[in-house]
Amino acid sequence: MAFLHNIRTVAKYEAKTLRRSWFFRLFSLGALFIFTILNIGFFSPIGDENWELVSISSSVPYLNLYLLNIGQAIVVIFLAADFLKRDKKVDTNEVLYTRPMSNFEYLIGKTWGILSLFLALDLVILSIAMLMNIISKSMTIDFMSYIYYLLIIPVPTIVFSLGLAYVLMSLVKNQAITFLLLLGIAALDIFYLWFRMGSLFDYMAFGLPLFKSSIIGFDNLRLIVNQRLLYFFLGMAMVLTTILIFKRLPQSKFHRGLSIVFLILFASGAAICGFNTYSAYRNEINFKKLVVETNRKYENRNFASVTDAEIILDHKGKKIEAIANLKIINDSKSPLNSYLFSLNPSLTITKVTSAGIELDFRRTNQIMEIDPKKILAPGLTDSLLISYSGSINESFCYPNFNDKVTNNPYRIIMLNINKRQAFLGEKYVLLTPECYWYPVAGLNYYPTNPARIKIDFTKYTLAVKREDGLSAVSQGRMKNDKEYTRFIPGNPLTGVTLAIGNYKSDTLRVDSVEYISYYFPGHDYYKNDLKEIRDTIPFLISGIMRELETNFATKYPFKTLSLVEVPVQFYSYPRKNTQTRGEVQPSMVLLPEKLSTIENAGFHKRFTRQKRWMDRNNQILTDKELEVRLFNDFIRNVFISGENYTFVNGVASNEPLRYRLGPSFYFFKNNFYSSDYPVINAVFESHLQHLTHEGKSDDFMTGFGALSDNDNANLILKNSSFRDLLSKNPSGDTIRNVLTVKGDWLFNLLRSKAGLTEFKPWFAEYIDENRFKKVDIQKFSEDFKARFGFGFYPELDAWFNSKEQPGFLISGLKATEIIIGERSRYQVVFVASNPESVSGIFNIAFRTSGSKGKELLDMKIALSNSQSNNGGGSKFFVDATGRGMDADNISKIVFLGPNEVKKIGIILDAEPRAMLVNTLSARNIPGEIEFPVNEIIKAKRETKEFSGEELLKTMPPYTEASEVIVDNEDEGFITSKLNITSPLKSLLGIRNRNGKRYLQISDWNTPEYWQPVVLSTYFGKYVRSAVYTRSGKGDKKITWSTVLKESGYYEIYAYVGKTTERISVKTGASDDNSENKDDENGDDNKFKDMHYFVYSDQGADDITLDYQHAEGGWNNLGRFYISSDTAKVVLTNKSSGRLVLGDAIKWVKQD
Amino acid sequence: MKIEIQGLNQIYPNGNHALKDINLEFGTGMFGLLGPNGAGKSSLMRILVTLMKPTSGVVLVEGQDIQKHRKELRSILGYLPQDFRFFTALKTWEFLDYSGSLAGLKNKRERIAEVDRLLDQVGLLEVRDRQANRLSGGMKRRLGIAQALIGNPRIIVVDEPTTGLDPDERIRFRNILSQLSQHDVTIILSTHIVGDISSTCQGMALLNKGELVFSGSPENLVKNAEGHVFKLTLSPYDYERVKEHYNIISTIPVESGWEVQIVSDTAPDFESISLIPNIEHAYVYFMEHKLHTELGE
Repeated sequence: MAFLHNIRTVAKYEAKTLRRSWFFRLFSLGALFIFTILNIGFFSPIGDENWELVSISSSVPYLNLYLLNIGQAIVVIFLAADFLKRDKKVDTNEVLYTRPMSNFEYLIGKTWGILSLFLALDLVILSIAMLMNIISKSMTIDFMSYIYYLLIIPVPTIVFSLGLAYVLMSLVKNQAITFLLLLGIAALDIFYLWFRMGSLFDYMAFGLPLFKSSIIGFDNLRLIVNQRLLYFFLGMAMVLTTILIFKRLPQSKFHRGLSIVFLILFASGAAICGFNTYSAYRNEINFKKLVVETNRKYENRNFASVTDAEIILDHKGKKIEAIANLKIINDSKSPLNSYLFSLNPSLTITKVTSAGIELDFRRTNQIMEIDPKKILAPGLTDSLLISYSGSINESFCYPNFNDKVTNNPYRIIMLNINKRQAFLGEKYVLLTPECYWYPVAGLNYYPTNPARIKIDFTKYTLAVKREDGLSAVSQGRMKNDKEYTRFIPGNPLTGVTLAIGNYKSDTLRVDSVEYISYYFPGHDYYKNDLKEIRDTIPFLISGIMRELETNFATKYPFKTLSLVEVPVQFYSYPRKNTQTRGEVQPSMVLLPEKLSTIENAGFHKRFTRQKRWMDRNNQILTDKELEVRLFNDFIRNVFISGENYTFVNGVASNEPLRYRLGPSFYFFKNNFYSSDYPVINAVFESHLQHLTHEGKSDDFMTGFGALSDNDNANLILKNSSFRDLLSKNPSGDTIRNVLTVKGDWLFNLLRSKAGLTEFKPWFAEYIDENRFKKVDIQKFSEDFKARFGFGFYPELDAWFNSKEQPGFLISGLKATEIIIGERSRYQVVFVASNPESVSGIFNIAFRTSGSKGKELLDMKIALSNSQSNNGGGSKFFVDATGRGMDADNISKIVFLGPNEVKKIGIILDAEPRAMLVNTLSARNIPGEIEFPVNEIIKAKRETKEFSGEELLKTMPPYTEASEVIVDNEDEGFITSKLNITSPLKSLLGIRNRNGKRYLQISDWNTPEYWQPVVLSTYFGKYVRSAVYTRSGKGDKKITWSTVLKESGYYEIYAYVGKTTERISVKTGASDDNSENKDDENGDDNKFKDMHYFVYSDQGADDITLDYQHAEGGWNNLGRFYISSDTAKVVLTNKSSGRLVLGDAIKWVKQD
Repeated sequence: MKIEIQGLNQIYPNGNHALKDINLEFGTGMFGLLGPNGAGKSSLMRILVTLMKPTSGVVLVEGQDIQKHRKELRSILGYLPQDFRFFTALKTWEFLDYSGSLAGLKNKRERIAEVDRLLDQVGLLEVRDRQANRLSGGMKRRLGIAQALIGNPRIIVVDEPTTGLDPDERIRFRNILSQLSQHDVTIILSTHIVGDISSTCQGMALLNKGELVFSGSPENLVKNAEGHVFKLTLSPYDYERVKEHYNIISTIPVESGWEVQIVSDTAPDFESISLIPNIEHAYVYFMEHKLHTELGE
């Protein structure tokens, strides 16, 4: 056919021409070099073989094409834009235009030529990748994924880029402007549009989740097909548009007609695919809104509690049919005239009966309201049989979460993974309680109080109809009969999970717990990798479990622990009402396929790497010992500490806390509830599970500029009560911070009343006695009162509803060495006051000379090296004093009533170096204040031992009568507002950071304005803050001014808050246990000369204060006569150091 | 091939009226289109090869309107444009192969054989594998004619083919065209170099400022000039006088002054010899003298 012949001819010579262009040659040679190195580095046996990448083999073509595609998209722009320019410039092309070919044939030929050339390059690079894939011992090969990714990633991108370049070049007719426009569009995709509107604008598939599971393949084919076809069709439509506007007289009406027809078809196809892509995104948002609004209507209604649930389920392809036999109890204080349940909205209820009588029901989206035809009085029970069938709508699961991939990235290295909350397919099923696949008497989200949660401990039994070749997995003892697999859990559960798939399993019994691993065929690689310790594993597990039980002061409550492999796409969002993630279920952890998101699960590679390292360092460790180390390391990181963070561009790319076993020791076992304070369970969980924070790295890397979570929470609580805050639906991070602070406060109160040593065993016993039961907080208060004589319930009113905060002032710290008996002891005495109108508590800890380790601030911030020697990224955890079940790290808790002053005495065995005060929920920022103990006084013989608290009558003065202090928090402090926004920033709407929020000093991002920072060594009444800026020419100023009542001579002082203590910083990059060199007085290099202009009757004196030689505290600037009313001191940003810091100025009247 | 041009007008967006109501008819053989720069020759050529659509009028090839039957025309057309210098990164034979393939030579073996035959014919076989961009100006022209010939076209349009060529190349090129004109093809040769219109042109047309000022055979053009071309030997003083009143064709310095050739309707007042005009004389007589005289310019 002449048609195809002409297209082939043009394509052949276009490709030939392009192949000979230096630009393409450079690009392809560069790409070949880079990708060969990359593939060797990532995937070959001599390379890194990063477990996250090699565990699922589809990541090989995905990674290659993902990266190559970005480069290609840019190169195509240049080549394609060059195309029409060349056609115009090269006069010899005119002889081709007079040949008998249509414009359609010519442009399609050109397009195919360029496309085929790039695809050929892709194929070459994929061949290199495949070679590595074949020779790698750690990977299987997924041949089909090579084809899929080739079609999915580069083809639509190149076609779209070509089409866009053609059209723009035809219309703009200026190559330079076209380049700029096209590059702008590419940059816009990469930096701004890639995740917006469900990846609608992401033509490069830069943020589109394309990860292919080895279990279920692509799980989001509909989105992938629509989104990629959108750009393929759009590209083709633009190519066809170019054909119609091409500057050559058309040859054939037929082909012109054909172009118009195809243009209409492709444009329509693009419109349909674009609509599908957008509507999927929009529908999800709308659906979530609908769920929230429906919940809002029902959140104040009473729900029964489900005590027993027998679920019979028939898996029918992409649907389920189920019958739930529920036993409910009205455990509220009011009678129930209707029964409310939530059920996934895609499940249709067919019938509801009670005692054989069919009941009426009404369905409002996810809510099912059953008319029982009677009233269920408080305490009474009823039974219901609910038949339902259908599929699962996953948008229902986390209705408050409008997925912003930037906030919750889910990637393997840089490869985007689709987030799924449930699977219901022919070959695989995963239904967790979060998708409400059975009726639940409660709401999945309470809009006016997102921290509220309703938990029922229910005795579940589950019967699942078996399908050929598939196994069902759930909690409890498994029994197979003719048709059904039945599960009977040994304990009541907060929810039940069902997985159906081609599972294999291994069981290990350790102590009284059965550990069952469910995995897919061929995915049990770890057995071989850890074969040396096969016999030792039970002991290791036993040890780890005992450690967990000790940490949580309670026994593991279940008889089994199932580790279930699930497709990598399974992802749970962090919730506002619990810190427990959906990956951890009662007696079950859902682990990603082949542990692919867990970097240190690559045992084989880690083994060989460490072995090599040990050989080089002459260390001797047997294979078995090394495997033990790897196993322990893995278990601790994944199930206990969750430390193994990996950061990409400062954002945590993984979420290791997802698999922690903590919830098994509280959340799945105990529940404290309160109708008055429906946040109480989340508060208890936050405190007891000892969880700190999960989410963005910069929020908890306090040492790197961000404020601590505690301080953030206290700043938030400064302006609103706990109740008000919750009703404003704050972010998950805010809620978690506030819950933790409130929990810390409450438990410190309880400990202060019960006694530090008495509380722990009592409470451990209490929660053990009440396991799998719901405990009303009022009852708990009464039980506490019965034991310790203090009912805390009345305190909760202010705790929840008041926005007043206490504020603590500490003064007169004195440490004395005294002899008690025959022994030398250390008495620390100080005065603590609370000048505010509400009571408060704070706790005290000490860093002593006998502290473990080398002067570590181990109770404040521990920047810890991972126990692993994998040389991965830095790992951090922040540990506050007095949190968790085990609060042994505090010495005393002090309760101070409104306007109360107390003298506090504490006797210590070891010499104190510093006193650490955690003010918990108070006005003090930072809340964790360190008071260095600079001097130990030798006691006189008659010195009496003082331990405890003594109420004082007078409030100690904040300042002396002869002095006037102006702090940076005071009214007399003014900062220059010089913070000019550049015209480009204005145009793009980028606002400068205004420095209103407190931070800590950052070495990396020094501000051009005066940024408030907090540190316990800075001056301040409650807020120990200062301001700092980048040094400059003296154009930025801060001024302290005050009105002095009397003329005369004044000594003027400037406050310098210095970090005088050692902070040991260790990073994960270190392979041994040696500490890095201590960074003592680390500020010294940043701060040097500070120029204070002191205004007096003599005019303005430039007084230079050398920070490096200054005292920590008040530094004298000189003696000046001041007769005028207003006195002022100005500090500019002029300095030879990198930063300038200003805090407070003191004028002291001289007699 | 009978080609009829009827009422052809070309007005560019800038208002330039490049072709004004051109009516012309010619058949097989070589047809010369002569005119000064800017006469509208290239516009006419581009319309003839379907690179451009006329503002009005039609061009019929064997009675078929070429704007309605572009495919048919393009399939029998060979075209060598005025500018033929810049190539994409293709070798000499590849460029020819590309053209041949688009001209309908689908069989690769036959096409390669044809490519080599034509390269041989135009004397480029030795530089077959050289990058086309690296050929000399003359070689590029020969490559141009080779690509115009590939696929046995029935109509060959060559626009200003000898511009910028050295005399040897020009002669070689004219010879190629002469040989071609022996076959059953229509060659339309556009040029502003009168010498290019060789005696092999069966027909020719003169274009001036977009208008057709003459059409017919070269002999007719020459005949028009008979008795109007004179040779004079002049003193420097007389030379100045002659220059003021006559169109001088050529000036050669001689011992006594200047030997000049002029065109004039009547014999000049000076001693002169009447010459037998050639086509160059005829062109000057027509363009410089007759048109000026008739138009009163």
